[in-house]
Formats: sequence, C-alpha cells, structure tokens
Amino acid sequence: MQQIINKPLASTFGWLHMNGTLLEVPEEKEQQSLVIPSGEKKLLILDNDTAAEALTAEVEEGALLQLIQISRPGSRQIRDIRVRCQKDARFEWYRLVLKSGEIYDNLSVTLEGNGSSFQAEIGYDLISGSHLDMNCEAIHLGKNTVSDIHSLGVLNGDAFKLLRGTIDLRRGCQGAKGKEFEDVLLLSDQAHNQSIPVILCAEEDVEGDHGATIGQIPEEVIFYLTSRGISEEAIYSLMARSKLEAVIRTLPDEELKNSLLERESL
Amino acid sequence: MSEPLLTISNLSVTAQDKPILKSASLTIGRGETHVIMGPNGAGKSTLAAAIMGNPAYEVTGGSMAFGGEDLLAKSVSERAKSGLFLSFQNPVEVPGITLENFIRTALEMRTGKKIRAWNFRKEIRRVMETLQMDESYAERDLNVGFSGGEKKKAEILQMLLLKPTLAILDEADSGLDVDAVRTVSRGIEEFQKDKEASLLIITHNAAILSALSVDRVHILVDGHIRMSGGPELIREIEESGFARFEENSHE
Amino acid sequence: MSEKTVIQDVSREFYDFRYAENAAYKVDSGLTEAIVRQISEEKKDPEWMRDFRLRSLEIFHKTPMPDWGPSIEGLNMDHIVTYVRPNTQRMQKSWEDVPEDIKNTFERLGIPQSERESLAGVGAQYDSELVYHNVREEVARQGVIYTDIESALHGSYADMIRDHFMKLVPPTDHKFAALHGAVWSGGSFVYVPRGASVEIPLQSYFRLNAPGAGQFEHTLIIVEEGAYLHFIEGCSAPKYNVANLHAGCVELFVGKGATLRYSTIENWSKNMYNLNTKRALVEEGGKIEWVSGSFGSHVSYLYPMSILHGRGARSEFTGVTFAGEGQNLDTGCKVVHQAPETSSYVNTRSISKSGGISTFRSALVIDRKAEGSKASVSCQSLMLDDISRSDTIPAMDIRTAKADVGHEAKIGRISDEAVFYLMSRGLSEEDARAMIVSGFAENVSKELPLEYAVEMNNLIRIEMKGAIG
Repeated sequence: MQQIINKPLASTFGWLHMNGTLLEVPEEKEQQSLVIPSGEKKLLILDNDTAAEALTAEVEEGALLQLIQISRPGSRQIRDIRVRCQKDARFEWYRLVLKSGEIYDNLSVTLEGNGSSFQAEIGYDLISGSHLDMNCEAIHLGKNTVSDIHSLGVLNGDAFKLLRGTIDLRRGCQGAKGKEFEDVLLLSDQAHNQSIPVILCAEEDVEGDHGATIGQIPEEVIFYLTSRGISEEAIYSLMARSKLEAVIRTLPDEELKNSLLERESL
Repeated sequence: MSEPLLTISNLSVTAQDKPILKSASLTIGRGETHVIMGPNGAGKSTLAAAIMGNPAYEVTGGSMAFGGEDLLAKSVSERAKSGLFLSFQNPVEVPGITLENFIRTALEMRTGKKIRAWNFRKEIRRVMETLQMDESYAERDLNVGFSGGEKKKAEILQMLLLKPTLAILDEADSGLDVDAVRTVSRGIEEFQKDKEASLLIITHNAAILSALSVDRVHILVDGHIRMSGGPELIREIEESGFARFEENSHE
Repeated sequence: MSEKTVIQDVSREFYDFRYAENAAYKVDSGLTEAIVRQISEEKKDPEWMRDFRLRSLEIFHKTPMPDWGPSIEGLNMDHIVTYVRPNTQRMQKSWEDVPEDIKNTFERLGIPQSERESLAGVGAQYDSELVYHNVREEVARQGVIYTDIESALHGSYADMIRDHFMKLVPPTDHKFAALHGAVWSGGSFVYVPRGASVEIPLQSYFRLNAPGAGQFEHTLIIVEEGAYLHFIEGCSAPKYNVANLHAGCVELFVGKGATLRYSTIENWSKNMYNLNTKRALVEEGGKIEWVSGSFGSHVSYLYPMSILHGRGARSEFTGVTFAGEGQNLDTGCKVVHQAPETSSYVNTRSISKSGGISTFRSALVIDRKAEGSKASVSCQSLMLDDISRSDTIPAMDIRTAKADVGHEAKIGRISDEAVFYLMSRGLSEEDARAMIVSGFAENVSKELPLEYAVEMNNLIRIEMKGAIG
C-alpha cells in the first residue's frame, strides 16, 4: 500500500521534493518490540535481507541499547525504527549501507528522560544504482539530553542519497546538546546528493550545532598523497574506503568489526 | 663521485609568475648525503617542490633526470614510485585516512603487492618505537591535530617505511623542540644505514647536521647555487652566516 | 543570571502614527476579473499588460496556498483592498508640491534629510503610487534611468520592461506571484548602462496608510555589463487591526562583470503579511550582494533568490532577522548554481524573543554543469528566552562531484559570561543584552550605509528595551 514514509518533522520548500517519500510499503512486515530493562545493556545486530521491518524499543532508566544495522550489496529494504529513552538511558545506532540497492530508513529517537542520550554513526558506500533515502530525528524532551548524529559516505556512479537529519530541542529540555555532522564525498558527476540538516529549537538553554561538508578532495591533499606514490584514481578509492572504515571502527562488536574491516580492505 | 642519481641542470622555476630559482644545477650520487643551505627566501623549498612536481610551481627552464630518466616528463605519483620522497615543511591534514592505512596503501602502490594488515601493523609499530612515537598515532587521522613535532615525526616515519632511493627533507628541524630534533636525527641516521639511499637535506641552520655524515654542501642564495663544497662549509656558515655568498651577486 | 528583566513590548510610537484616510479612489474589495480590468484601465496599461494581468489572475485562482510554512489563515483576500491612490496628482517633481500630511510622514522617516545628504534620488511610494520622484542630475548624466515603473512602461523603456517584466519571477512561481502579476501597482525601474558606476546609493521607501490596503509594488533593475549599483530599499508602515498584505516583487538582472548591491531593511508593522519575492539573475562574472534586515511584519515569507547563470557568477547574502512577540518570520535565501566556477556565500543571524518564531529556510542547488563551484552557508541563531522559537531548515541538492559545499549552523543563547563582563564595566543588564544583540547583528549593520545601520540598531534597541536611547 502506498504511504508517505520518511517524512521529516519540518518541511522545506515544496519544489525541492524532499519532504517525505511516497512508496509502496508491503502489508506484511516484520515487527519487533523490545524493552531494555533498567540498568541493562543490549547489543542487537540487524543484518538481514527482509524487505520491510519495523522496530520499536523502550530503553529504561540507565540502560543501553546498541543497534548495529547493516545493509549488504544489492539489498532493497524499508526500515522504521522508533526508540524511546528514559532517564539516563542511551541508544547507539551504527548504520552501514554497503553498495546496497534501495534503502529507506526512518529512525526516530525520543529522549524523554533527563540525561538520556543518542549517538548515530552512519556510513555508506553507494555505487551506481544505489538509492539511499533516510530520515533521522532526535527529539529532546528531557533536560541535559544529548544527541550526536555523525554520517560519512561516498557516492559513486549515479548513486542517489537523501539524508534528512533533525534535532528537535523542545521546550523544557534545558541543558540539552544536539549535534549533527555530515561528510559526503562525491566521486562521479552523475551522483546526486541531497542533505537537509535541521535544527528546531524552542528552548533557550541549549546548544545546537550542525555542519555538512560535501564535495571533493582539496588540491594540496591530492599533491601530498600523490607525492607518496598514490595515483589519483587510487586516492579516491582510498578516501572512500577510509570513510567507511572510520564508521566500522566504532562498532561495538569485535568480530563483526574485524570481518567488515577485512572485507573492506580487499 | 659515485653513480649519479639525481641530475639537475640549469633549472629555473617560478611561482605565481615570480622567478625564484634562476638556473640552479647540482648532482647527487647514490648513497650520498647532500645539504642545501641558504638564507630565507633563497629558493630552497622551491627546489624541493620542483623536484617533486608541485603544480603550484612552474619550471621555466633547464632539466632534471632521476635514475637516468627525464623527471619533468613524469607525474607526481610516478616520481614517487620511481623512488623520490619529500618530507614536507608543513604537512597538510588529511581527515578520513589513518596514518597506518595511508602508509600501507602507499607501499602497496609502490610494490604492486597487497600487504597483510597484521604484518604491516607489526612493522609500523617497530619503527614507531625506534622513533619514540606514541603507538596511538597509527590509528589517528593523518596529521589531524598533530603538533609540529608530531607531524615531522610522522613524515620521518613514512620515509623509513616507504624506503625511497632519494629522500628530500625540507626544513625537517624547523620549529621543533630539542626532543623532536633528536628523534628526527635518529630517523635520518636510521635511513642512512642503507648505503644505497641518498639524502638531500634542506635547512637554514646547522643544528640538525651535527650528528650526521654529510658528503656535500650547496649554498643557495637568491635562486642560484653560489657554491658547492665539502662539509667544512657548514662550520663556515655557522660562524659567519651567508654574507660572503650574498655579496657575489652575479652568475 | 536567574532573574530576567521584564522587557517591554515594542514601542512603535516612532512609526505608529497614522493619518485620517484621505483616499480619492478605492477599488471594490475581493478579487474578480472586473476589478483587475478596472485597475488596468485606471493605469492606462498597454494591451499586453492587461492580458498579462488577466492571465495572472487565472493562475492565482488555480494555485493552492503554500503548505510548508507559517500559517496565513488570517489573510482573507476578499477584504484586501488592492488599490488605493492618495489624493494628489501623479509624479511630483519637487518636494514642495507634495501634500502636507504625506510630507510629514516622510519627514518623520527622514527622507528630506537623506536628500540633503546628497543621495542620488528618492522614489517614495505612498499607498500604491509613486508620489515623489527626483533623479539627481549626475546620475542622469551617466545615462542611469531611475523612474517609476509605470511611467517607464509608457515611455521609451516600454520594450525593455516588456522583455524583462516577470520573466525572472513568473506568475506561475507561486500563488502570491500570480496575485502580484494581476494587481501590481507602482514600483521602481532602474537601468544602469554599460560601464557606469553609480557612486551614490539609490533609495526607495514604501508606505502603507489605508486600512486593509495591500502593497504590490514591482521593482525592476537592470545593471548592464561592467556597471555598479547599490540600491537601498527600506520600508515602514503603521499598525492596523485589519490584515495588511505586502506581495511585492523584485527582479534584478546583473550583467556580465557587473555588481549590484541590494540592501533592505524591512520594518513592516506587526499586522502585515509580508509575502515578498526577490530574485536576481547573474551573468558571467557578475555579482549580486544581498544585505537584508527583517524586523517587522506579523508573518513573513522572504527568500531572496540568486540564479548564478553565467560562468564565475557570484552571490553574497548577509541577513539578520529579529522575531519578537506575535511574529512568525520565515526568511532565508535560495541559490541555484547553473554554471561552472560560480560561488555563493550566505551569512545569516537570527534572533527570537518574547514568543517570536524565526525560521531560517534555505535552498542550495548545484546543477550538474556547475563544476568548480563553491558554496558556503553559515547561520547562527540566538534565543533570548524559552517561549520563543528558532528553526533552521537548510536544504542542499548537489548534482556534480566537482563542487565544494560547506554548511554550518549554530543555535544558542546570550552567554552569561559576556553579560557579566559588560556589566562589570558599568552597563545595566538590559544595556548589556542589547549591546550583545546589536553586536550579533553586526554582520548586516556593517554592510549598510551609516544612517541605515543607525536605524537598524535603533530597531534592535526598541525591540530589546522598549525605547530608543
């Protein structure tokens, strides 16, 4: 059934066509619902090829949920993840999109309890035919809540990527800090990158910060690297590989991390 | 003089249409250590940049040959692969690539063979230890947030791992504290253990040269090499500076 | 500082005077074809313009309201009287001939002073008509044309106007562009010939004085190859209870290697709906500089747009927006890079206070053919309390690998240390905060001619303290 998915909290100009995506979403989809009890820690790895999956999670006081979500080459997936964090709870999202086909990701994190926090490390390596459409939002309700969305990636061939990132600092979240940073490397002239880093703020005593760097490698960096014998073509794939590796290195699962590092360096 | 490795003949180089090097010539043989000294602005870094092929500098006259092959016809990475190495005065920061990854890739490019991550890690750590460099730098992004001394050490580390036939060190000791200078010296000594490897050290003060064995010294003033001689020239510069060479201003 | 000083609501006495309505002619309220024809006839439009208005009206009726920005529900088109003409003859050449009450309005706004201070010329719009117009001799000798757009339409520039009028902002652009196309009235036409450099800024004022009256002026500026012009648009209106609408349109054509600086201080009164469209087309090597201070209006939709059409074209946008009580100001900037080696630079600051809502909304599009382009966007927001809002919604669409785009945004509050430091030097807390906010808005004030910078700082002080001085 046709639905508008990945709709951001705040819209941009209509003519840009970045406000939500109309998509055929299958009726049957996997649903998971978790509760991480107070004080506990859970590592969940979502590394499968299910067409559509929804996950809701409640992270109770002082608990930690680490979610590693990987999309493998060629896959087509729709994911909808909603997490709510209670007092001092923490949610970490490690998202890797490796040369996948079509990926639709909606992630909404509500930092309800005071002191709760959210960290997202997103890495993507997109090739011709890849299509990545993501909506990621951190809603700050509680005091002293912290969010940090960090995304690195590469677009090759005619890859398309749209990242809507929203930090929503709602009235009452004194002391909250929201940060969003994106670094995109475009390696081909057919690639298409869209970014909307949004900060919504209704509270005075907060810090909000976002940045994005999109583009090519600076001249002096190219000279430095070529002076060490790395050819220009090799530089591009080196930079691309490095960006992905930077995210892989943050994975809290040693085995998965090492297997991915091995894979990626080949 | 042993078999010539690098031959520079009447090289003229401009930067942004301003002439800096005006017909400079010198020859470096295999296994030799040469030093270029001169006052600030003489053109020392320009010479280094021109040898490496920095696109910001234009060669307007003369020729250069390395290992018998025309250097000017080669791209920057080709020059590197043929055995040239330049240690930068102020290395640029490259976020996104770790120091380790970078050196391993450069080595793979040079040898054409894949290098096992684990083997390389051992090797890099070994060399870092001789340089007294903190191990953690291997996993840090290349030069990002490195202090002046750490950047120079990282340059020397690369020199030792990439094993070039001719390493050009541009002001390798400038702006360093005593400890860092010692490390860089140690690195150079280590490099000189290979009798076939040549070294071109560019500096405007002689501090770093005291512990090294030097074959030949060139004095570069106002874009010209005014004098070439033995290591005794170093003492002269230390005592009387460059005044003697600046007076004779024609060639 | 735990205790917040009570900052009074904006005292608008300086601007809130009004005169008994003295209009000679009023169009029936509501928008019908008959009304548009009436307007066209009144103005003695050439046939093509009349047809253009009617086509625009059609488009207006077919186009939906925008659904992505602040609500404009309070705007009821049927009650907007679109055309009011004051009781005086058209186009006064000298200040002495202008009626007393109208003159007083401008006196209080300082126009005669500006005239004395050797500005090149002033076009003052009062209730939809240009009342006073005087082009300085020096400027005219350079071949520069500065006149009201309606007389230009009937004179020797008719063809030039026809070639450019609403080509940059077509009626199909959005609902209020269509409205503008149907009922536009008054405005300035400026033509700067090749190589001419206009040393003194040209200015224009707008004024709204009748209840329910709308402002639909059109500004058309053509700067030919290698020329230079600084145009200043500053406006003010008194407060009324009935909704006021401003749906103006500014079209700027910047030729090869030419530079146009377009400065604005928008200070519409707090019941105005300001739905203004400004757009610049920049040719090879040309440059557009936008300097924009948005202070007034109840609701604003304002996004000056630069289309970088020729190789090496440049756009610089410096803006500040201050949203106080009852205001919802949605402002920003749009840039489209359509050619290689183009560059754009956006620097905006925004301030929210007393429940005001300020939204920075931008669009940056870099076409496939814009290789070697550079774009940089920097926006900073200052929240002065916890009942206001500040939202930043930047969108970037990049379709070429060979471009460099940097974007950063920060949001925060006035630093307690800064306030303490200033107070330790003898300032009261109110003064300290006002000084900090003025400093924050300096990105714009330093780009404005002195008297405008002073006006802007006065506005800030009024907003912060409730009085000037």
